[in-house]
Order: sequence, then structure tokens, then C-alpha cells
Amino acid sequence: MTRTKFAPPMILGLTLFLSTAAAETLIVGLDADPPRLDPALSTAFVDRQVMNQIFDKLVDVDEKLKVVPMVAKSWKVSNAGLTYTFKLNTGIKFADGTVLDAAAVKYSIERNLTLEGSARKGELASVKEVAAPDAATVVINLKVPYGPLLAVLSDRSGMIVSPTAAKKSGADFANEPVGSGPFSFVSRKRQDNITLKANAVYWRGKPKLDGLVYRPFPDGDVRVANLLSGAVQVITPVDPKDVATIQKNAKLDVTTFQGLGFQGVWMNIGKPPFNNKLVRQAFSASLDRDAINKVVFLGTVKPAAGPFPPGTPAYSAAIRVQAADLAGARKKLAQAGKPSIPFTLLTAPGAVNAQLAQLYQAMAAQVGFNVKIETVEFGALLDRADKRNYDAVMLGWSGRPDPDGNIYEFFHTGGSNNQAGYSVPGIDSLLEKARAQTAMSARVATYNVALGKIVDDSPYAFTYFTSNTVGNAKTVTGLRLVPDGILRFYTVDTK
Amino acid sequence: MTALPAVPTIKRERNKTLRRFTANRLAVAGLIVVLLLSVVALLSPYISPFDPAKQDFAALLQSPSAAHPLGTDELGRDTLSRVLYGARISLSAGLVSVALALVVGTALGLIAGFVGGWLDELIGRIIDALLAFPFLILAISLAAILGPSLQNTMLAIAIVTTPAFARVTRAQVLAQRELDYVQAASALGASSGRTLLRHILPNISGALIVQASLAIAEAVLAESTLSFLGLGVQPPTPSWGSMLNTARGYLQTAPWLALAPGVIIFLTVLAFNLLGDGLRDALDPRGRTR
Repeated sequence: MTRTKFAPPMILGLTLFLSTAAAETLIVGLDADPPRLDPALSTAFVDRQVMNQIFDKLVDVDEKLKVVPMVAKSWKVSNAGLTYTFKLNTGIKFADGTVLDAAAVKYSIERNLTLEGSARKGELASVKEVAAPDAATVVINLKVPYGPLLAVLSDRSGMIVSPTAAKKSGADFANEPVGSGPFSFVSRKRQDNITLKANAVYWRGKPKLDGLVYRPFPDGDVRVANLLSGAVQVITPVDPKDVATIQKNAKLDVTTFQGLGFQGVWMNIGKPPFNNKLVRQAFSASLDRDAINKVVFLGTVKPAAGPFPPGTPAYSAAIRVQAADLAGARKKLAQAGKPSIPFTLLTAPGAVNAQLAQLYQAMAAQVGFNVKIETVEFGALLDRADKRNYDAVMLGWSGRPDPDGNIYEFFHTGGSNNQAGYSVPGIDSLLEKARAQTAMSARVATYNVALGKIVDDSPYAFTYFTSNTVGNAKTVTGLRLVPDGILRFYTVDTK
Repeated sequence: MTALPAVPTIKRERNKTLRRFTANRLAVAGLIVVLLLSVVALLSPYISPFDPAKQDFAALLQSPSAAHPLGTDELGRDTLSRVLYGARISLSAGLVSVALALVVGTALGLIAGFVGGWLDELIGRIIDALLAFPFLILAISLAAILGPSLQNTMLAIAIVTTPAFARVTRAQVLAQRELDYVQAASALGASSGRTLLRHILPNISGALIVQASLAIAEAVLAESTLSFLGLGVQPPTPSWGSMLNTARGYLQTAPWLALAPGVIIFLTVLAFNLLGDGLRDALDPRGRTR
């Protein structure tokens, strides 16, 4: 802008015209085509990228994962953690022109609780009833105290859909989603694009961008090539090996920031060889987590000790990253009476997975494991993991703002993500106890007790905490780096 | 009548064939490359400077140097050693799958062509059904169904290669069946099996040899393609196709990773094609254009 000051007025006018007319639609490259843009039915992380622009949520989380107001301007927890009373902002309208009030919030949460096939039922299981005593007040009553509730409402469970549109569309709502967010849905072409336009009457003020287009590029090389060519202005995620390529480009920026997720390896405790704790401990001890970070991620992730990444509320320095201990691992295998153990490591396709699998294979081989790598398509991998039809499987988690979302379903008996079939009554009661506690310090103490036992039992070898990575043209400004990895485009502008 | 003086003619014909082949410089070059590759494949454990699976985290993605003439990959493994070992996978995949297809396809073709009737119809329709699918699509589907491994890749390639052999054999048998020497053999009391194996098969072997050498080129390429798509050999076993797949992600930062397997696949396929073309020209004087 400083340079245009000296330019003739006509060129200045033209520049301004161009910048307002052409440059204000941003194209964003994602790693998958969002399957279902319906807050109740969505099960994919990538859905959240798009839905966060279309829908407002009851509350949001900020860069520090603090729960902050959104549709609710304030809230109060009473009745020993059983009653949550939300005061709502007023004057909010859905894209179809109807009003967002307490009744719409009640409808949305109840829809999440009752809709056939809703993936939200688990995280909202503690909800007894939702009431709307007046247009600007919502009261949620719980069956049991549930500390993670606010964090849960900062995600899909807290997204407010237009009741009129949801009733009209029925099962088709995912194809014509209507919310009150800064952008509204225009059209989509499967595997090609999702087009959104700015909500001109957005209650927090019109967004700076005029439009937003999401395009799926499942292949990381293709994604980065599109950023380099200028066909898209923002991509997320960026493959670790492409970070340096983007850094070298003067027109582009790349940002890596701490995420909420973890990655590692499930060991099937239901059958040999991993039904023996010593064997599980030996495999976990054979992994050099620092080397994994350096080799595969070029230092862009953090080695994992447990399910809670540094910088999140439940992180505790008391849970230490396991150092590679080859001698100790060999001794454990000898103790188990099996100095040489063959097993199959299941993994999904992809460059990073292939690299990781071969690294795990080589590291485990040093202590006496003979690892066979089997690559299967991700859907098939999940299916086999759920049926416990595997020896070891590489499977991680995108993470949730509240610690409960990173541990409960993984290590509680019958948990939906408990693919090892881990079941220890003492752990179950600790995880239930942490859920009911409201003070984070008390919850962390409870988690630490549980984690001490879980790490010792080693049904899962934690290897690293995922990072969020965003590559963007330098002209894109105002990106907020929230650890959940979702880019909120309300504040984004292009120069 | 024609059968008796045939012996000296065959010998003379063989000499002529050899002369025609050696006169074709490209074909000889192809043969030399094929022989070289075979030696490399056989001796790879002795001539490779490193273990192809040995990872070296201190030497990731290094450009070509004295220690690593073709550089190192994303896990610090020596690219040269992996290319040398990859020759084993590629050549054995090519040879085994084509040998399998040759045996099965030729047997089917012999039976169809000689017996005829409903059996010919049945085999013909099965072959038609297989040929209705594009070569690669069928190979990919089979490999995907069978599961990713080297054996299954060979089996998939063998299955899609079989129809070509069956077709060629059947056509040749139909032509030969009516010739005097076959009639004579039958008249002298030779059984069907003897007529087929001792009289017809040797006479059509030229066409099959040509078909086989061209099929190997196609099979090597198919193995690379399947491995490139992750349907072939599983890591860390080096295959040129899977090396190329990994290298694709490093085209900007480490182009040598793609160059080595790319060039060697190109050379191998070219060599087998030249060899096949040369053999065709040499074995079939009528097809000669020069």
C-alpha cells in the first residue's frame, strides 16, 4: 500500500478495484473431500474445517484452548456441576433468514442426541435434558457431572443448525447445510470443490473475505504443488518433507504449531505375541522417539509420552517420554522366553506411514522382533482394528481440546477407540472419576495415576504428538493458530 | 515326403536365424543389457556396497557421493544397493509370471486349436473375457483382491498375460494342423499328444519365444506399476516401482532418487523389447522388412 501512494490516481483506483473484486476469494487445499457437512453425522476431522465457517458454536476455544464465548455470551455452572446455564447473544440470524434463539440451540443439541446415526451421542451421553426458559437462555441439565462438556460444545456438538432448514432438508441436510456462521454454503461438487460465500449480515460483522473455496488434494505432493503454483492460497496439512520447500519460496509461509493429537501403535493384547506384557514393553522400549521425530518429521513434532500433548491442560512433566532402551528390551524378551518374535504391523497407505512403518520395523529388529509390514486401505485398517484382527496396528488420534477426549474411549473397557481390548477395572474407575471432577488440577492428578499403570501395561506405544501445519501465500493474513488445527477464516484477509 | 529332408533344412535355417539376429545391432544390444541385468540380479548380494534395508539416520537424502554413488533415500538407505537388489525383484517377477503364463497359455492354446469344437469355444470365450479388460486394470484388480505381496503380483501378471499366449498358440496350431507333416504324423499313427508336443510345438516355438520376450518387458513394467501403486512388494524390500513412488515426493529436493529407478526401468523394458523385435525378425523371414 505504501508504494501505491506515489502512483497516479488512476492506477491506484485500478489496484483498489482489483483487490476488492478479484483477490477476495480464497482457495484452500485440504487433504480429503469432507464426507458429511452435518454436525450430527460428521465423523471426519476434515468436515470440521468447513463446518466451522458455516456454523456458529455455543462456545469456542482460543489459541490457549480456553473456552471462550461465541453464541453464548456467558455461562454458569451450578448444582454441583449438573446444571449449565447459557446466556445467548441476540440478533443472530441463520443464512436462511430465520432467527437463532434458545429454541434453535435446544433443537440442535437434541438433534445431535436423537438423530439416527448421530456420532455425537457418545460425547453428549451425560445430557439429561435441554431447556429454553426464554429466547436468550439455554439450560442443560446433566445426569452425572461431566467436566468435558464445555469443550465438547466448542466442537460439532455445539454447532447450531437452522431448525427450519434441518427439518426441510431432512437426511439431505449435509448437502445443503444452513448455519449462522461467517460464511454460508453455496454449492459443492464431490471430489472437486465446496464453495462458500461471505455472510453479509454476520452478527459479529461481515468477514473480510468475499468467498471461500475448499478443494481436496489427498496426495501431499499434489497439495503442495498447487500451493507452489498459486492455484490455492492455503493448504493444510503440509507433509513434513515439504516444509523446507515452502520455506525456500519467498512468496509463501509455512507454520507448524502444536496439535492436540497423538500417534502410536496398538498391540493386540488378546493374542500372542502381545498378550505378554513383557513383549509389549520390549517393543515400546525398542522405539527411539527422538529419531522418529528427526527422520520422518525433520524435528517438527514432539515425542510422545502419553495422550496429552505439551501445552494442553492435562499435560504433565511427570509422564516422561520413554527413552530407547535396547538392552532392557532384549532382556525383557529373554525373560518372556522369546528372544525372537515375528509379528505383522498393519499400516495405512501414504508416504509418512510407509516411512514410519519401516522405521519401527528396523528399530524393533534391533532387539529381536521380526516385523512384517502389511499396508491396507484406511477403512479396512479401521475395520480390522475394531475386530481386533491384527498383531500391531499404527493408529492415532486427531485430538480433542478436553483431555477426556484423548483418553477415555481409548483405555476404558469397551471404549469406542479401545482397539486393543484393554480392560482394567482400576483404570475404568479412575477415568470415570476424572470425568466427574471439575478442577483441572484434580483431573490431572487422577490421569497421572491412570497413565502410570497404562504406560506400564503398554497396550499402546505412544510415539509422537501430531503438529498442525499450514502453508499459505504471504498475502494471506489473520490466520489464528488454534491447537485444534481448524482454520477459522472469519478473521482472515488477503492483501 | 517333406518330412524326410527337413533335418538338414532346419539346421541351415537355424544358422540363418542366428546370422539374421546378430546382424541386428539393436537386438544384440538388447540381449547384452538383458544378460548384464541377469548377472546383476544374481550377484546383487555380492556387488551391492550396502545392505539395501540398512537405515542410516546420519545420512538422509544425501546427493550422490563417493560413498553413495546414487545418493541415499528418505531413511538413509543406499540407492545404488536398492537399485541392484531391485533387479532381482523386477527380473524374477518378469520371468516367473511370463513362464507361468507361457505354460498355461500354450497348453490352453494347443488344446483349443487341436481339439476344436466346444472345448475351443469354451477356452476362446474365457480368453475373450480376460482380454475384454485393459491389461493394467485387470492386473490392479487382481493384485488388490489377492493382497499385496510379490507372489500375488506375479500371479496377477501371469493371469493377465496368459490370454496372449493362448491366442498366439491357437492361431499357430490351426495353421499347422492342416499342413502335410501333421497329416503324415497322424497317418503314421502318432497320438494326439505326440503330434502336438513333438511335431506342432517345435514348429510354433519361434512365435512363442518372440511373444515371451515381449511379454517380459510388459511384465517388468506391470510389476513396477503395481509396486508404484503399493500393490506389489512390501517394504522394506526394494522394488524399482516402489522406489519411484517414494521418490515422487522428493522430486524437488532429491531428484536423484527418481532418476535411478526410472532410468533402469526404462532400460530394462527397452532391452526386452529390442530383444523381442530382433527375435521376431530373425525367426520369421516373411515378417522382415529389411
